[in-house]
Amino acid sequence: MRLITSTAIALAVAATTAQAETEISFALWGSPQEAAVWASIAEAFEAAHPDITVNIEVSDWDGYWEKLRVQVAGGTPPDVFAMDAPLYPDWQLRNVLLDLQPYIDADPSVLDGVFPVTLEAYQTDTGLFGVPRDFQTIVLYYNKDMFDAAGVDYPDDSWTWDDFRTAAAALTLDKDGDGTTDQWGAWAEVYDMEPFWGPVIWSHGGEVVDPASGQTLINSPEAMAGFEFIQQVWLEDQSMPTEEQLSQYGWDGLLSGIAAMGFSGHWSVPEYAEAGLNFDVAPVPMGPAGRVTGVNSAGFVISSDTEAPDAAWEFVKYAISEEGQSQLANIGLAVPILEDVAQSDAYLEQPVQINHALFVEALEYAHMKPVFRGYEEWSGAVGDSLNLAWTGEESLADALDEAVALGDDALARNN
Amino acid sequence: MGNLRPMGLERWWVLVFLAPTLVGLFVGAFGSIFASVGISFTDWDLLTPPTPAGFSNYAGLPDDRLFMRSLVNTLAFAGLYVPLTVAISLFVAIGLNRSIPGLSFFRVAFFLPTVSSPTAVGLLWTWIYAQDNGVLNNMITAMGGDPVRWLSRDVALYSVVIVNVWGAIGGGMIIFLAGLQAIPKDYYEVAALDGATAWQRLWFITLPALAPSMFFQMVLTTINAFQAFDYIYILTRTGNGNSTMPTLVFSIYRNGFRFFRMGDAAAQAVVLSAMIMVLTVIYFRLQKKWGGQP
Amino acid sequence: MKRDTAADMLAFALLLFGALCMIGPFIWMIATSLKPVAEQYDGRLIPITPTSENYPRLFEIIPMHLLLWNSFKIAAIATFGQLLTCSMAGFIFAVVRFPFRNVIFVILLVTLMVPGQVTAIPQFVIFKFLGLYGTQAPLYLPAFLGGAFGTFLMRQYFLTIPIELAEAARIDGASLARIFFTIYLPLAKPALAAFAIFAFMFSWNDLFNALIYLPSNLEKTTLTVGLALFQTQYSGQWPLMMAASLISVAPIIIVFFLAQRHFISGISMSGLK
Repeated sequence: MRLITSTAIALAVAATTAQAETEISFALWGSPQEAAVWASIAEAFEAAHPDITVNIEVSDWDGYWEKLRVQVAGGTPPDVFAMDAPLYPDWQLRNVLLDLQPYIDADPSVLDGVFPVTLEAYQTDTGLFGVPRDFQTIVLYYNKDMFDAAGVDYPDDSWTWDDFRTAAAALTLDKDGDGTTDQWGAWAEVYDMEPFWGPVIWSHGGEVVDPASGQTLINSPEAMAGFEFIQQVWLEDQSMPTEEQLSQYGWDGLLSGIAAMGFSGHWSVPEYAEAGLNFDVAPVPMGPAGRVTGVNSAGFVISSDTEAPDAAWEFVKYAISEEGQSQLANIGLAVPILEDVAQSDAYLEQPVQINHALFVEALEYAHMKPVFRGYEEWSGAVGDSLNLAWTGEESLADALDEAVALGDDALARNN
Repeated sequence: MGNLRPMGLERWWVLVFLAPTLVGLFVGAFGSIFASVGISFTDWDLLTPPTPAGFSNYAGLPDDRLFMRSLVNTLAFAGLYVPLTVAISLFVAIGLNRSIPGLSFFRVAFFLPTVSSPTAVGLLWTWIYAQDNGVLNNMITAMGGDPVRWLSRDVALYSVVIVNVWGAIGGGMIIFLAGLQAIPKDYYEVAALDGATAWQRLWFITLPALAPSMFFQMVLTTINAFQAFDYIYILTRTGNGNSTMPTLVFSIYRNGFRFFRMGDAAAQAVVLSAMIMVLTVIYFRLQKKWGGQP
Repeated sequence: MKRDTAADMLAFALLLFGALCMIGPFIWMIATSLKPVAEQYDGRLIPITPTSENYPRLFEIIPMHLLLWNSFKIAAIATFGQLLTCSMAGFIFAVVRFPFRNVIFVILLVTLMVPGQVTAIPQFVIFKFLGLYGTQAPLYLPAFLGGAFGTFLMRQYFLTIPIELAEAARIDGASLARIFFTIYLPLAKPALAAFAIFAFMFSWNDLFNALIYLPSNLEKTTLTVGLALFQTQYSGQWPLMMAASLISVAPIIIVFFLAQRHFISGISMSGLK
């Protein structure tokens, strides 16, 4: 018996060593849980392609970008790596990514059934240098228990920003009666545009930025109206915790159970579920210009220095295939880019039972998160300036003017 | 400083003893320093080859708001942090260089903050500094005072200095404790026979004998002050990786690793290093003047 | 004499107060690590329903034993390398006169002053050139090539040892190596102990180099990198985070505890009356 097993192992080993000719590395940001799912995706891929071995490397978000920069600068980039759409031009325009268009032209069916909006970010004049892996639409998360306790109706698709404001005020409570607030109606990440202020501005009819002409557009009267709304909810009503208050509870008010509502993408679902929150999601409220949310995607790119471009492409192809996407949907961190998979049980019937279909429906009224070279520098300049308004050091109008001036500088430096 | 002149075979020993250091210096460290200065005269986005930029990275520094704010913050921080850290850790080391009850407990207690992870302890400090129901403000209001906004822009500097000093005393204590071991016991015995007071012993025996450790600790604390990052970032960060109290290394990190501006980052790093060097030279002079061995 | 006693009492009281301030947050961490997640923000020190489940859970989420072992292996080797090569160099700088001594020493000090963010990439290129990328060598090999911190620290200590000791031994015909190993090194035990704590701590806490040089794979990397990954998923669960942080500092505390015994109290409180 033992002899047979060891012979079988020996044969298997011989078989793999004979065939495993190509080794590719795939780097991404993520969590231990994602690392495990990706290991199983790689395993399934290797079973179908016995001649390719995939080494998965997962780092935390900050560490991922640090390591990637050093690796690329040092001339040893991973073969395949994950990309965040807004940062894609920074890498693509510096010629470190492989042109995927020839592969796609050779086999156009790989992109069949991909949500078109998710491809937009990766489009260049000459074609695609990256393909999306999954996408995120921003929705309104709410803590059902807090709504029940306060006797407030759950948010629904009839909500306007004013309804949001009223509910947020009603949900801001001093539960132990010590004179200080211990539950807030909502919390939001207000530094980057993605989760909150982008959708607010858009739904008030404002625009954020026009990278082509190098203009930051957030000081228009419409955008201003959006920021004033934020100011009202946050600073006047005090229905949202200040950064100082929030910092005592980690960085996510919903997650730490001190806020009844929050704005986020699908990435929050596993974390909220793990923390035992009783939550669901609703569309972002409507503004004077209707309902608008943001969509952003993560994707795959291949290094232009890779020694195994074909094997790398095979892996990417597998990861965006129905098979790969179904496994990915299982992690529950994002929405699959294939329409079929997004409508299938693999996505809709995840272990965490919330309104998953909403994230897909949101595409109908979603604006793409801006994608341009120097995004982080621009976002930093704008966020820094806006912060002056949120801490009360400058008036909103002054802060916005400064944000526009510094944002435009950042755009100019990157052109 | 010892001035043994090596003779014959001894020259080889000198070389053998210094070999690892020299190799390390020339293969790694020296190359890195050289490269940093070189990079500061280029525009380099890390992904494509650097292009020469002359002095433009340096010339642009005064207009760089993030850099200028960081510079002011860093200098203010260092001005408080260095003297406090050196003085307190010296006091603690002298206090814990005696046989007092529970000596090991005391030493471990003062060392613990040095090893604690800034992420985890940072949260505790936000609880201590919290505006509503924070530990400090509860104490203040209990005594009838008005609560303080510890992390607001005007006060944050002091709050952040306290946390950093708290985290640095243990390291300084170790250096001084080691230095104190080198002072011969008989010095004190003779002094005691002469009827010297505790202050006289401290002033005329302990401090002069500690001069080398003191010089070391001053230089290292200054370097740490100029490179301080963790606690400051954790206590003053806003969303998306920004900070309301940026420091120089924060600015260097952001330029180099976020904004694809390694040339600017290198220029800032060179300025940072130059400032530490100037201070080191000043300490060196002071030490010499004071009669100690630097 | 009376005044000395009073001063001693005051000093002791101050130290006790200081020690409590120092240890307070740490005790709070231990207490928080023993709470269920539901109680994490209740503001109490003592958990209502204490639980030790956070510790075994950590080991289920990430392979803590592998990470601890990897970190320990690297830190132990690095500490040994640093103690050896830095004390050798520190001895020469303190005792022997040789050409360019001050110049070399100053350059060495400058390496401490340049922030690591800028030197990281040149260093990476060097290690890649040497064929060491992807191995653990970049994390411990430099430890065998001296270093500014340790050389500086050891030099300062050796300076306090009377040079007459070396001169006398030399007249008796002792080689420099002999003087180093039989006179200076034994006398420098307190400094070596202090340096061992720092060297171990630097290596143990190193996140950036471990991130850059080791494969980002939970079986192969160190504790710091593993915990950074862990935080992306569990940053809202402070009891778990506190438990992780406590486990990760335990080895350094053990090293400190062992090393500090070499700081033998020179003066006893009563001996000076």
